[in-house]
Amino acid sequence: MSKYSLFLITLLTFFAVACEESAADIALATPGQSSSTGTGGSLARFTIKGDFLYTVDAQNLNVFNISSPDETIPVATVQAGFGVETIYPLENFLYLGTQNGMLIFQVGADGIPALIGNYNHITSCDPVVSDGHFAYVTLRVSECQEAAFGAANTLDVLDVSDPTQPNLLSSYPMDSPYGLGLDENILFVCEGERGFKVMEVSDPQNIVLLQQITSVNAIDVITLDGLLLVIGPDAVVEYDYSDIHNIQKLSEIAIGE
Amino acid sequence: MNNWQTLSILMLLVSIFLTCERPLAEIPDETVGMAPVYYEGDWQTIQVLGAQPISRLHKIYYKDGYIFAGETSKGIHIIDNQDPTNPQKIKFIQIIGNSDIAIKGSLLYANNLNDLVVLDISDLEHISVRHRLENAFPQGTLITPPNYNGFFECPDPAMGQIQGWVEQTIQKPQCWQ
Repeated sequence: MSKYSLFLITLLTFFAVACEESAADIALATPGQSSSTGTGGSLARFTIKGDFLYTVDAQNLNVFNISSPDETIPVATVQAGFGVETIYPLENFLYLGTQNGMLIFQVGADGIPALIGNYNHITSCDPVVSDGHFAYVTLRVSECQEAAFGAANTLDVLDVSDPTQPNLLSSYPMDSPYGLGLDENILFVCEGERGFKVMEVSDPQNIVLLQQITSVNAIDVITLDGLLLVIGPDAVVEYDYSDIHNIQKLSEIAIGE
Repeated sequence: MNNWQTLSILMLLVSIFLTCERPLAEIPDETVGMAPVYYEGDWQTIQVLGAQPISRLHKIYYKDGYIFAGETSKGIHIIDNQDPTNPQKIKFIQIIGNSDIAIKGSLLYANNLNDLVVLDISDLEHISVRHRLENAFPQGTLITPPNYNGFFECPDPAMGQIQGWVEQTIQKPQCWQ
């Protein structure tokens, strides 16, 4: 082989590699671009962790093995009590919002969750989010037919640093709290037709309301590192919160559109 | 009182407790209660349509620059959100009875009433059903009328999947809660 043909081969190889890369770039513009899982809102009832899909129904936490794309295998049904409403994944834990309280499950190496802690509260409607140290639970009476007499609209802050002993730290009155989203020290709490609250939570004993944005019917949120997705019955609205003291509305897709 | 008398009284009490364990409601010949509405036709067909108008949203999911907005019981709007100042609805996946989704890689897991369907979304122009797990959620929330106390018409599994409940006049209802 001459030096020239070696150069040609090198050149061709270079182009082949370069072409592959650009083909990969084009393929990136799809929701399946990364092999990871997506992000759900706090009202989610499905979540994926590794090779397992976890779903909640009224009483149970269901576990499915999804390691094969061609087969979904039910592997366990774990009793979770009464009125299970939401599931929130964090590390090896699953936080369940139920009508009577918040449950913490630890997921074993086999994917099977075991109940390790719970916090009971008066019957109401309530999702949960957590950062592993603190959990934020909203309790809603408004538009919640299951709510017990005497229940109130509140945001409860729990110390979950020992997940076997969730401990109520503080409780704040709310209007009609639905879903919520946490990004480090900022907590967004949906208040239905009253919009959503932006709260600073670095001191759980002294949460500070920074702002309430009332121009949207907010049911649930997703925080994406400066981008806030808000969903209500009639719209998807997006905000830029990279400057928390100057939240900017970016766009809206509304009912009928 | 001798032992036999004590035993007899005990047995009498026990039998009363046993019969009283499940107090029977007095079943009316006719009353106003809830009756199931069954899905007719082919609810298992998953259709991918172009962008559809939003009517009643309930859930949100995000992955890789795309928003998946759940249209209550009807399906999922796929919104291209690579430019958050100009999100574009691009597809609507019609999934009857859908309430929840989760995505891993390019596979989307969704409930289709009480079935679990797994969709391949690697190419949004050619979304396909990869597989289906029938009756994955037998404890579906619609087996009894939600948020309701009173008589209802017992669901008949032979009639298929329940779409919802309506209030109507029912005869000799055998179910109540």
